[in-house]
Amino acid sequence: MAWSRKSAMFAALAIAMYLLGLVLRNSQLVTVAVVLLSFLTWAAFRTSHADVASSGRRVDDADADEGIQLHSISALRRISSARIFEDGEIDVTLRIQNRSNLSKVLEVRDRVPEVMRIKKGANYVLMELGPQRETEISYTIETPLRGFYTVGPVCIRVQDAFGLFHNEREIHLYDDFLVFPKMEDIKDAMIKSRVPKIFTGAVNIRNPGEGSNFYNLREYIPGDPMKKVNWNATARSAGKMMVNEYERDAVSDIILIVDSRKIAETGPVSRNSLVYSTRAAASLSQYFLSRRDSVGLVTYGDEIVSVDRDTGKKQLYVLLTKLAGAMAKGNTPLKVVTDRIMPHINRGSPVIILSPLEDDSTVVSAVRDLRSRNFDVTVLSPSSLEFEFDARRLDRTGYEVLKTERDILLSELRGLGANVMDWEPDMLLNTALAGARGF
Amino acid sequence: MADENATENGASDTAHLYEGKKVSSAPPSRKKAAGRMKSSTDIPEDAIPEVHVPTIIESFFGGPIVNTTKFLPPDRMVASLQMGSAGVLMVLSLLTFMVTPVSGTAWFALSNMLGMQTLGGVLHLLIIVGGLIGGLYGIFQRDQRALIVSYALLIVVTLRFAGSKVDFGISFLPEEEIYQKMLLLLYAVFLVMYMELTSGIIRFSMLDTSIRTGEVYVMQVTKITSRYHKSLLITPAIASSVAGLTLLINLIIPAFVGLFDDVSARRLSESVELTSVYGVALGTVMVFTVIAAMFAVNLPLRIQQMRERNA
Repeated sequence: MAWSRKSAMFAALAIAMYLLGLVLRNSQLVTVAVVLLSFLTWAAFRTSHADVASSGRRVDDADADEGIQLHSISALRRISSARIFEDGEIDVTLRIQNRSNLSKVLEVRDRVPEVMRIKKGANYVLMELGPQRETEISYTIETPLRGFYTVGPVCIRVQDAFGLFHNEREIHLYDDFLVFPKMEDIKDAMIKSRVPKIFTGAVNIRNPGEGSNFYNLREYIPGDPMKKVNWNATARSAGKMMVNEYERDAVSDIILIVDSRKIAETGPVSRNSLVYSTRAAASLSQYFLSRRDSVGLVTYGDEIVSVDRDTGKKQLYVLLTKLAGAMAKGNTPLKVVTDRIMPHINRGSPVIILSPLEDDSTVVSAVRDLRSRNFDVTVLSPSSLEFEFDARRLDRTGYEVLKTERDILLSELRGLGANVMDWEPDMLLNTALAGARGF
Repeated sequence: MADENATENGASDTAHLYEGKKVSSAPPSRKKAAGRMKSSTDIPEDAIPEVHVPTIIESFFGGPIVNTTKFLPPDRMVASLQMGSAGVLMVLSLLTFMVTPVSGTAWFALSNMLGMQTLGGVLHLLIIVGGLIGGLYGIFQRDQRALIVSYALLIVVTLRFAGSKVDFGISFLPEEEIYQKMLLLLYAVFLVMYMELTSGIIRFSMLDTSIRTGEVYVMQVTKITSRYHKSLLITPAIASSVAGLTLLINLIIPAFVGLFDDVSARRLSESVELTSVYGVALGTVMVFTVIAAMFAVNLPLRIQQMRERNA
């Protein structure tokens, strides 16, 4: 049984008045104190029983002893989906059963992660539940931020009519769900590999081969299929048979590097570099995997977590899961990451770095190493300066100075041949990618 | 490889990397930012958070003096509680005026010292009226601080050195002990119910606001409110019965002893100690010892279990 502030105040007042009444020999004060104490005692008597500790029972028994009133209450929860994208909605249905023969007035609160918003219904219900009855509570939660979340436990409280004493019990019922980063439709990432793999894919590269786009004309070589002969060109070329050559459609390896260091979370919770980076990585993964490229992912913060390159829808969910769980921790330098992964990826493969590029003195040397090994480096850099400035946490002077320093760094990276984009908060990913490519 | 491209002064020569490439001289974001930037370098006014430094009085009360809790207009339940509380407060003020004499109070002593005896009575009345007005304001404005001031004034007015004898403020009230104690009990019950009803106003206003803002959903509202109404009748009745037992211990003990010895019973009933507040203290000890024993044997749990089984 727990005391409320009101009951504590009443008890303190009663004792004070009682003692003062005895000292002053004042019947009025003593009478009021006695009535107040009787009032409290009756409320306590109705609510509960002797305290567990004072009755000498073991702590293990406490669960069953949380009150006979709560012992017979059970709960069952169902959620509409265990995997959802940011800004999605999850319907939660909580079934409360009263297995007792007495009706009970209950306060039920289903604990929802703090970042979630209740869109419809309520997770906090006050109700009277009849004997051997059950009821359903339904509510909808909005999922604004990626991550692993848990709904639960269910907290149940019984209190007296005056709110003086209460008994509480937590039903340890948990449901986990995963919120994937939101994805943006990308029309063209303008990123192609210089080292295609042997399997054909959906992307044409500037090499002749089996594909769909016209590449050039050449003389017929015995063995060429007749359907490739360009009869118009043959007629113009004085007896020489000419055939069409096509660009080779191929698949390539794409490596996404996401900065999840502690600094990447600078800014408001819903608008910071890490949020933008994970959303961009999710969008790019979907785009590249849809054109049958194999996509690998590296996130680095306090440790380097990598997902090996693969293709297909399953790979998309593996990548999305890793991105959902990316936590802003640690301060691993980019150079350590690039040194670790470079021996394992094909030279010339596109490498996309999503990082605010702050508080890391190794960025330039890491990009230089990648470029010197002929990797096609694209850097999309959501600037925490913009987030901080928009949230009015950074004054104008500070912003100007830091912005200038950042511009110098980005210019240096451009000088190394990387495609760099200073990604502003209100810029679409498509625009940022086009900007990185100089369009 | 990077070292191979280092120039004499240590800087890296990266010209070979962007030979023949189109390198934009400034990032688009820079241009955009430049377009937006103004010449002023002042910190925007809304970037400075508002800080409220509490005054000494505010610190004493633990928050702003002005009530900051915002309630929606009262619903039927809250409105009925407000009316009930106002009625109880009126009766309580009248009872307070009846049962609390000015003699023995600090303001009575002060007025005697100043040689203005009526001042004590005026001050006494002013305290009761202050409690009434503060209470009415607190009830209808749902202001917790005004209510606390009202509680304090209505309790302070009873603070007096009484000398063990029950005195009332009005002389024509009954002289019999049992009626006097009943009147005192009535006053005490009204004071406690006033405190309960006014805290109920705040509690149900909060609940109603939470319901209407969708924070809480209440199933079968009428059942829950009727339970509260029922408790408002039952609890004071039980509390006053228990308190009655305590206050009338000077009659109960002699009656019990009288079963065995009439002389001892008569002596006990004439005992000054038993009829004074110390008799009440003895009654409190006896009654609450029984109650404590009930809790010690876990009687509420056993009753609850029995109800569960028999239901």
